[in-house]
Amino acid sequence: MLVETTGLPVRLAGVSCAHGGRTVVRDVSLDVAAGQRVALTGTNGSGKTTLLRAVLGLHAAARGVIEVGRREARTSADWTRRRREIAWIPQRQAAGRFPLLVDELLASGGAPERARAAAAELGVGELGRQPVHTLSGGQLQRAYLARALGCVEAGAGVLLADEPTAALDFEGQAAVAGLLAGLPVTVMVVTHDRAVVQRCERVFEMAAGALREIT
Amino acid sequence: MTEFFELLELAAVQRAAFALLLGAVALPIIGVVIIGLDIMPVRFAMMHIALLGIAVGLLTGLDPLLCAVVACGLSGAGLTPLARSRSGLSGAMGLLMSLAIAAALLVLSISGVNASAAFELLWGSILATKTGDVVLLGALAVLVPALFAWRRGQLALLLHDRELAACSGVPVNRLTLVLLVLVAIAIAGAIRLTGALLVDALTLLPALAARRLAQSLTGMAVWAVGIGVVVNLAGFALALLLDQPPGPVLVLLAGAVALAAHFLPERRTPAWQSASSSH
Repeated sequence: MLVETTGLPVRLAGVSCAHGGRTVVRDVSLDVAAGQRVALTGTNGSGKTTLLRAVLGLHAAARGVIEVGRREARTSADWTRRRREIAWIPQRQAAGRFPLLVDELLASGGAPERARAAAAELGVGELGRQPVHTLSGGQLQRAYLARALGCVEAGAGVLLADEPTAALDFEGQAAVAGLLAGLPVTVMVVTHDRAVVQRCERVFEMAAGALREIT
Repeated sequence: MTEFFELLELAAVQRAAFALLLGAVALPIIGVVIIGLDIMPVRFAMMHIALLGIAVGLLTGLDPLLCAVVACGLSGAGLTPLARSRSGLSGAMGLLMSLAIAAALLVLSISGVNASAAFELLWGSILATKTGDVVLLGALAVLVPALFAWRRGQLALLLHDRELAACSGVPVNRLTLVLLVLVAIAIAGAIRLTGALLVDALTLLPALAARRLAQSLTGMAVWAVGIGVVVNLAGFALALLLDQPPGPVLVLLAGAVALAAHFLPERRTPAWQSASSSH
């Protein structure tokens, strides 16, 4: 069955990122077509997370061209639009100092009803009034996934997911892999999960900050 | 006790009580923001900058407290870029505090004014509360809860995690700027009530107690305001009854409440708090 895509293309050209003077992403170029699913694999510390964060503008020391929907982000308004276009599942889900209810997290994606429905489908629908810090790692990851589905409902055309199944049990990993494959958006996912990799059309490996396509 | 009721009939006492009541609405919410943004050092810096503003006011003949409010407001706005990281503020605050107090002493020395007038504000003089102070606290009592109600969802995200807020469309820089300016102005406005050195009684201590009792940002704000109202009025009444300076009595009472909240049974402590303390 063909899924109608509302995804946006992503283009990286000569992207480099540094952490405190150490280059962690080296001259990365990548074209991802609208609706394509791309897996980024590689050893810990190879620069995968930094690369995704650079797309979101969360890594200040990034150079090169980063386009989403054929547009670069230069001004504050550009970044606000960029972040609206992207659903983001971070690797380390926010461990903030302050209480945030699961319902508030779900609503932050822009489509609270869809996010709540997704949370129910993912088995965390009853946790809405709980602070996110009271959740287990797996529950928190499901809540962030539900939020991301809300973002897609609200119009995001790209999903950036950083190890979205790392805290899940086997059943959850398989369910999330299927869910990601069925989304009508462009997907860039950092993962070590074979089930997720197998459902991606292109697979890349990062090593010492450099990116190469392996399938 | 008769003396106590006679005191309550004095205009200065009534104005002070009203100012404390107004302060209890806005200032504990400011305390919640201070904890949430993790900007504890900022309040120390603001106390020093307020002193510099007072010194400039004494030198120029302008209202010293107005100068303190303006100086704090401008400094709060200037600090916004540093608030992007937790480490960004701590070093800068040490520098700012030293520079502000040195500049204040220099201004007082050059102007030849009596430094004790400036330093009196370090200890506060609640019965000397003026109409202008009440107006400022009244404005804060309207503005701060209104901003909280209007932007509650965005505030909850920003105070929880800056990056999550940014990725959720929250204008983090603009909101941080507004919050820092409000924090700075509120601290300057609270100085008359308890003095710069004891301003925590009205801001931070009710918020610290509320943090032990609430599960959400809204819950924290409600608890903090409730505790603030009770502590401010009870503390002031106690100070009048005991014929002691209100500032220290308010601090001790607020501190006792925060300490009592800390010793509540563990089951009442939200899990997020123990989680965050381990990071």
